[in-house]
Amino acid sequence: MHAKSDDYWVEHLLRRTGFGATPEELKYYKGLGFEDSVEELTNPEKVKNDRLDDILSKLDFDFTDLGDAKRWWIYRMAYTKRPLEEKMALFWHGHFATSNAKVGNPYLMYKQNELFRSNGLGDFQQLLIEVSKDPAMIIWLDNQQNRKNKPNENYAREIMELFTMGIGNYTEADIKEAARAFTGWAAPSGFYFNKKQHDAGEKTFLGQKGNFNGEDICSILANKPATAKYVSKKLISFIAYDDPDDDTVERISDVYLKNDRNIRAVVKAIFLDKSFRTAKAYHGKIKSPVELVIGTVKTLQVQKLDGDLSALMARMGQNLFEPPNVKGWDGGLSWIATDTLMERFNYAARISTQKFDTTDGYINPTKLAKNYNVNSASDMVDNLLAALVDGDVPHNTRKKLLAYVASDATGKEPNTVPTGKVLDVKMRGLIHLIMTLPSYQLA
Amino acid sequence: MGISRRNFLKGSIGLYASLSMGELLTLAAEAGGRPASSRILVVVQLAGGNDGLNMVVPFADDAYYKARPTIGIKQKDVLQLNQSVGLHTGMPELAEQFKKGKLAVIQGVGYPEPSRSHFRSIEIWQTAEPRKVKDTGWLGRYLDLSAPTKANASDTFFPAINVDPILPKTLSAQKVIVPSVNNVAEFQFKADPKNEADRLAQIEAFNSIYKDFKLDRHYVDQLRAVGMDTTAASDYLNKIVQNYKTTSQYPNDGFGKGLKFIAQMITGGVNCKIYNITLGGFDTHTNEGRNHDQLLRKLSSGLNAFQQDLEAHNKDQDVVVMTFSEFGRRVAENGGRGTDHGTAAPMLVLGSSIKGGVIGDAPSLTNLEDGDLKYKTDFRTVYATILDRWFSADSKQVLGDKFDQLDLFQKT
Repeated sequence: MHAKSDDYWVEHLLRRTGFGATPEELKYYKGLGFEDSVEELTNPEKVKNDRLDDILSKLDFDFTDLGDAKRWWIYRMAYTKRPLEEKMALFWHGHFATSNAKVGNPYLMYKQNELFRSNGLGDFQQLLIEVSKDPAMIIWLDNQQNRKNKPNENYAREIMELFTMGIGNYTEADIKEAARAFTGWAAPSGFYFNKKQHDAGEKTFLGQKGNFNGEDICSILANKPATAKYVSKKLISFIAYDDPDDDTVERISDVYLKNDRNIRAVVKAIFLDKSFRTAKAYHGKIKSPVELVIGTVKTLQVQKLDGDLSALMARMGQNLFEPPNVKGWDGGLSWIATDTLMERFNYAARISTQKFDTTDGYINPTKLAKNYNVNSASDMVDNLLAALVDGDVPHNTRKKLLAYVASDATGKEPNTVPTGKVLDVKMRGLIHLIMTLPSYQLA
Repeated sequence: MGISRRNFLKGSIGLYASLSMGELLTLAAEAGGRPASSRILVVVQLAGGNDGLNMVVPFADDAYYKARPTIGIKQKDVLQLNQSVGLHTGMPELAEQFKKGKLAVIQGVGYPEPSRSHFRSIEIWQTAEPRKVKDTGWLGRYLDLSAPTKANASDTFFPAINVDPILPKTLSAQKVIVPSVNNVAEFQFKADPKNEADRLAQIEAFNSIYKDFKLDRHYVDQLRAVGMDTTAASDYLNKIVQNYKTTSQYPNDGFGKGLKFIAQMITGGVNCKIYNITLGGFDTHTNEGRNHDQLLRKLSSGLNAFQQDLEAHNKDQDVVVMTFSEFGRRVAENGGRGTDHGTAAPMLVLGSSIKGGVIGDAPSLTNLEDGDLKYKTDFRTVYATILDRWFSADSKQVLGDKFDQLDLFQKT
């Protein structure tokens, strides 16, 4: 296999640290090179985010409205200069999957999301404690009803099964004991410790004895090697490739344990790991609906974000702030079924279609043609394939796309290279077709 | 080989693949008439862990009221099925079906060493394998075994249709791809309507590209296969739906719409054996009373509308509906007027070919294990009965073992 260029891996990196890149961003990070890009992208707080702040301040979101909360996050993902911050918020939203369908309070969902953003690259132990005290989580997993002598086990079970160690590392008795430790953690309005409802007695948890409270349980769990592995494996799967082998998981979980559970160190280690720049990782994941929709907006420089983008993502199987259950989204092949794939095709049709009767649409073919340096039918195909799928298609696909472009708007073969109106129709059709390719579904 | 313009105009965009569902569909549609085996199973998953004790209430047992002082269903509100159990107040339609002999209630269904994790337990129910993690679902394995070969393709069918957003492991197979559809209006290949001729050129290019899209990347083969099925199925299903009429009143929600869609497929003559649909929200850790009541009302009125719709279309003899959930709930209520994760629970089976009644023994409410019911009927006996008696399949091949049979069907 030929060694791939630094540019090639920078594009790969940008699909994983965020949601793809605009042409300007691509140019900037290619200038930095792979390793400096990793350094800059994994330290998002050092990057100014003026443009996003400016856009958000003008939009005046009402966070008690679920639709507004969704739109707010979509704007953030589309226009941030700190892509990893949003990518990690999305990761933690899927990991500590909480749904407004039960919480019924968009403002609390928004606050939880801010917690993922501010603590998403810090100490996992701290994050776990904060999440355990997070009002949306307390309502979601019923800890409000977890009282002394009348424990509710829901949170105790899920914190071990899904948030830290994974199934098989604890007993039903551990669940009962941990539930006692979380008694009295309530959230009537903001986190509240109801001492009267807290069971301060001794517990035996994972072989340790003590008068544990919820924070103690979080600390014990966050430092378990099983947690290091569980969280590392999930992170590798999220940002590098699915089903990582045991050796890789071991390498990355060592980083977790040696760096005081620091997630930034873990994420950086994954990007710099030898397995990240391999054929297995490259285009080795299926884009989530959020990655697909936001990535398209960025690559095609869609100027106006429709209000219903979150509904489109939902129909593709990823409803922000409303994951299907506490396990979050499974990812991988589960994104692809006939109905969700059809929604992806419909999105491609919508983006490429001319809006109303004006030349004003989601995309501007004439402008794109100029940006992508289109001087011939083959330029059009090659440059758009490069921009949208990194040119990663079989040779005969390129030929068939060229045949499509080189026919006129009625399907007949013309003698000349398309221009004017025909260029507009064909450019739209070509973008539509490329977006329906298997390659376009890959991250 | 390209595809001719004439085929587009006929709307048969599914003719491209040698062994794809598109071809099978088209052949099935052209064959008209019903295939040799027209029996259908509709699987209804009650997600979250349905509280079996509050759905099929042991009203004659004091232990029930003792364990559930606030959320127990009062004896006077129970819709009695026999001397000891009755349905929840919110299920009058299914109580009526029970009287007509069309509803079977199988009591205390579960499996040994029960898992109380939603995700592990649902996986066990879906794969029918309690001992280890398995990749294929029980119905997926059945579909693999009964998958058509090219030689008898005209006898074939849509393997199954999933009406949920995500394919459940129940239908996960090795040879067969099960399509997921839940909104037929959105389920078609669109393009800029202003350029109709170009739209056809696009579909032609799409089909031609997908036909031999080979790329050495993980997931590409699956993406290609699902993509081809997507366009083929969309064309076919949209035609079916156009011809459907009903007088049944389905609940106006996702579950009701899904059931109606299934009725459309069945009455439209779609040659499909298995449908999957989910009603979620059963994880009633708190304030169970009202939430569970609403869910059971949806379930009862939805299944009743579905049954009546099939009867009106003279399809009811061909269809059996089976409900299941990952687990029941603990016998004693918790501190929040709800219930925590438990074990065994009843299953419902509905249909005109069903031998109605209460089947199996109810678990004791006092002889418990860890506060939970001890199951009486292994869930795989229900699966085995359906596979052997309804589908005339070999359940041992699907389940890996031989299980007892239940007296679930009328003699036919």
